[in-house]
Amino acid sequence: MGLVFDIKRGSVKDGPGLRTSVFLKGCPLRCVWCHNPESQAAVSQRAVATGEVCGREMSVGEVLDEVLADRPFYGADGGLTLTGGEPTMQPDFAANLAAAARAQGVSVALDTCGEAPWAAFARLLPHVDLFLYDLKCLDDNRHRALTGVGNARILDNLRRLDAAGARLWIRCPLVPGLNDADADLAALRDFVAGLRGVERVEVCPYHALGLEKYAKFGIPVRLDRTSEPTAADRARWRAALGLG
Amino acid sequence: MSYAERMARLTARKVAQTAEKQAKLGARDEDDYGLVLPPETFVADLPVRDATGQFSGPRAWAANFHWLMANHPLYIDPDDAIAGRWMFMLSRMRLGYQLSRSNFAFDYSDLEPLQKKYDITTGIGKDAHFAPDYAIGLGLGWGGLLAKVRAARRTFAADPVASELLEAEETTILGVQTWIRRLSEAAADRSMTEADGERRANLVQMARTCRAIVDAKPTTFREAVQWIAVFNMASRTYNRDGAGGQLDELLRPYYEADTAAGRLTDDEAEFLCFCLLLNDPHYYQLGGPAPDGRDQTSRMSFIILEAAAKLKSSCNLTIRVWDGMDRRLYRRGVEILLANRLGYPRFSGDKALVAGFMKNGYSAELARSRIAVGCNWMSLPGLEYTLNDVVKINVAKVFEVAFAESDSLAELEANYRRHFRAAVAVTAQGIDFHLDHQYLNEPELLLNLLSHGPIEKGKDVSHGGATYYNMAIDGAGLAVVADSFGALEERVETEKSLTFEQVKAAVASNFAGDEGERIRCLLDASGRYGHGGTAADRWAVRLTGILDDEIAGHTTPHGFKLIPGWFTWADTIRFGKAVGATPNGRKAGEPISHGANPLPGFRKDGALTAMARAIADVQPGYGNTAPWQLEVDLGLADDPGAVDKVMALLDGHFALGGTLVNINVVDAEKIRAAHKDPSKYPDLVVRVTGFTAYFNSLSPAFRELVVKRLVKETI
Repeated sequence: MGLVFDIKRGSVKDGPGLRTSVFLKGCPLRCVWCHNPESQAAVSQRAVATGEVCGREMSVGEVLDEVLADRPFYGADGGLTLTGGEPTMQPDFAANLAAAARAQGVSVALDTCGEAPWAAFARLLPHVDLFLYDLKCLDDNRHRALTGVGNARILDNLRRLDAAGARLWIRCPLVPGLNDADADLAALRDFVAGLRGVERVEVCPYHALGLEKYAKFGIPVRLDRTSEPTAADRARWRAALGLG
Repeated sequence: MSYAERMARLTARKVAQTAEKQAKLGARDEDDYGLVLPPETFVADLPVRDATGQFSGPRAWAANFHWLMANHPLYIDPDDAIAGRWMFMLSRMRLGYQLSRSNFAFDYSDLEPLQKKYDITTGIGKDAHFAPDYAIGLGLGWGGLLAKVRAARRTFAADPVASELLEAEETTILGVQTWIRRLSEAAADRSMTEADGERRANLVQMARTCRAIVDAKPTTFREAVQWIAVFNMASRTYNRDGAGGQLDELLRPYYEADTAAGRLTDDEAEFLCFCLLLNDPHYYQLGGPAPDGRDQTSRMSFIILEAAAKLKSSCNLTIRVWDGMDRRLYRRGVEILLANRLGYPRFSGDKALVAGFMKNGYSAELARSRIAVGCNWMSLPGLEYTLNDVVKINVAKVFEVAFAESDSLAELEANYRRHFRAAVAVTAQGIDFHLDHQYLNEPELLLNLLSHGPIEKGKDVSHGGATYYNMAIDGAGLAVVADSFGALEERVETEKSLTFEQVKAAVASNFAGDEGERIRCLLDASGRYGHGGTAADRWAVRLTGILDDEIAGHTTPHGFKLIPGWFTWADTIRFGKAVGATPNGRKAGEPISHGANPLPGFRKDGALTAMARAIADVQPGYGNTAPWQLEVDLGLADDPGAVDKVMALLDGHFALGGTLVNINVVDAEKIRAAHKDPSKYPDLVVRVTGFTAYFNSLSPAFRELVVKRLVKETI
C-alpha cells in the first residue's frame, strides 16, 4: 500500500503529453516556496477547519485503475507521473506502481527532488522512462537554508542517474532574490551542461497559488505573493539558462 | 500596399464596425454574422405587408427580397477584394419577431399545451438550418440557375403551388442579379474617385468580377470567391442562413486552374480567402474524407487555414479529424488555436460521425459527405432538410414534471421516460406541422436554389423538395438531470441521509430556510456528471439511452426520420428560467447546463480528460452531435509540447466517440478582465457555443456563462 494525497488526471505540467499525476505523501525537504505543503508530512493530516483528510492508503491496483481511465489520452508521450511529496520516500510502492503501469503499456515519469538513498533510485530506475529532476541551488549552504537539506546527495544521485543512461528533464524552481542571482543561474547552466541525458530544462517560477493550503493545514507560511516573479525576471532566467 | 497592410486595415475596420453595432443595437447574444449597419438615412420600406405587419408565402417573400436587393445600400471598401456587405435580415423584419419563437401564419394552438408543459423549442416556422450545395451555383451561375427555374416553370405550368414557388424563385434570382449589377457599378464609380493607384486597380477588378458573375458562372478564383460571398450575403439578407460548406474542395478547382495558368499566387489566394472569411463567419469545413474515403486535404485547405490565422476576427472554420487525415493540417489548426486564442478553428470527429450516420441506413459515401455546418449540427450539402439546432426538448423541464409525480427513484425513472416519450411525440407532431405549412409561411427561396430537388420537383425544400429528411431533436439540460438523478441515488438510496419526501419538499420550496439550504448543500455536494465513476455519470449514460430509445430509429407521424443530439445552443439561461428548483441543488430559474457539458465544478481538479471521457460516453451516436464545449486556460505559454497536449486531448476524445469540439483556449485573466470591462478588449473573440463572437458584443449574462465554464489548470 502507498500513502497517496492526490491523483490529478489530465495534467499538462508534469512531463510530456497528458498525464495522470499521482502525488505520494512525504517529503524530506522543506522548501520555503513549496506549493504543496500538505505533501510534506509522511502521515495523513486533517485540515484544521474542514476536517478534510489529506493522504489515504491505496493499493497499486486502486491507483492503476485511475491511471488506466485516461489511457486514451496518453498518446505517444503521455502517461503516469509519480510525484509528491517525494515519491522515492515510498520506493517499493512507487516501483511496483511504475512496473504495473509499464506492463499495461503506460509510460512512467518520476518527479523527484533527488534527496534519497541511491538504493531507492536503483530500485526505480528499471521501471521509469523519464526523470523530472529538480535542481534548486548549486550552493550547498543556501540549498540547506532554502530546503532544509544540503545538495551533495542530490547532485550525486543526478550524476549517477545520468551515468546510468536515464532520460532527464531538469526542473528549476526559481524565486526572485533567493536562488536566481546571475551566478546561481550560471552554475545551474554549467552543471546541466556536464550531463549527457538531459533532454530539457524547465523553469518553475514561484507562484503563491498554494498559500491557502498552508492556512488549511495550519502550516506556517514563509513566502507570499510579493515573491512572485515579474515578466522581466522570467525573461532573464530563460536567457541565462539558454532557454531562448 | 502589401496584403498584410490591407488585412490589418480590414480587421481594424471590422472591430470599429462591431463597436458601432454594439452602440446602436446593444448586446447581441448571437453570432457576429458579418453584417454591418445601414446608413442612418436608409429606410427599409418593404412593399408587401399585411394589416398586422406580417408577410408570408412565396410571392410576398420574393417581392420583399427583390425590393431589398434593388434598394440595398452598397458597401464598397477599396482595401477589400469582395464587393458588398449585408445589412438586413428579412425574416426579422416581420413585426413581433422573436429569436426563440418564429412568426407563423398557421395555428398550432392544439399542440401548445404539451409544448409548454415540456418547454419544447418546436422549430415550427424556423428557417434555414440545413446546408446548401454551393457546387450547384458555382456550376451554373445566376444565369444558369435562372434558366433552370424558367424551364421548371414551363414543366409545372399547370401546378399552381409549384408555379407560385418557381415564379418567386425567378424573382429572387433577378433580385440577386440586380444587386450584383449595382455592386459592380458602385465599385466602378468608386474607382473614378480613388486617388491611390493600387486601390483603384482593385476597385476596377472588383467591378469586373461582379459584372462577370451577374449572369455567367464564375471562371476564376476571385470570381468564385465573390460568387460565394454574394450567395452568403443574399441568403443572410433573406433569412440569416449561414451553413457554409467544404470550402477547400469548393475552391480547389479554381485555385488549381488559376495557379497553373499563372493568374494567381498563393499570397493572393490567401488574401482572397481572408476577405471571404471576413465578409461573413459562415461554417466552413477543411479536410476530412471524400465520399470515396480518400483524404481531401489539399494545398487549398492550408491556404484557407492560414487566411483564418491572419483574420483575427469571428470565424467558424472546422477541421475534420479522422484516422486517414493529413495531420499537418490538424497540427497547424491547433497551433493557430493556441497562438491566437480566439476560439478557432474547432474540430469535428468524423470517425464517430460517419459511423453514427450510417446507423440510420445511409451509405458510407453519403455519411462522409455530411459535414458540421452549424453550431452543433451536421448536414448533407444540398441533399438534406433537418431543422438542425432549432428543435429542442428541455429535459430539465421533463424531469421537473416527472419528479412532481414520483415518490421513489424507480418511479421517477419510469415517469421521466414516460414524459420524455410524450415530449418527443408532441415535438414530432410539431415537426410534421412545420413540414406541412412552412412552404406557405416562409419558403427557402435562396437555399432551394442550391439544393438538389426543389427546383426540379417544384417543391420547397421544407415540403418534399429535399432528397432526405432527417429531422433533428436535441435534448437540453443533460447535466442538470443526470446530477439530479445522481444526487437522489447517492443521498436517498445509497446513503439514506435524506428521504425522497425531504428532497421533494425542499425542492418544492426552492430550498427555503436553513433546513432547505442544508438539504441543498448535501445534494449539491453529490458526485457530479463528468467526475468519472459517479452515480450521476451512470445516469448521464442512461439518459442518453432513453434519448436514443425514444428518438433514434423513430419517425414523425408522417414518416420523417428523427435523429437525436444533446445541445442547448446558447439558450441555457432561457431554458433555466422555465424550470423550478432541481434535486442537484440548483435553485429555481438558474441556467441549465450547456449542451453535453458537465456543470461547472464537476471535479476538483477540473480534469479535462475526465470531461472528455464523460462527454464521449453520452454521444447519442446517430450522426448528430453532442458537442464538447471547452473553455480552458492551459497555462502552457512556454511549453513547446502544448500543441501535442491539446492534440492528445482531442485525439482521445474522438477515439472514445466524440463528435465535435467547440474549443476556446483562453487566457483566464484576460477573459475575467474583459468580463469586468469589455470595452477595453474590443478585439477579443470567443466561441460562445458553436459560433464565435466578439466578447464585448455579448450581454453580461452571456459573458458570465463563458467565464463560469472556464476550466483553469490547477496546481
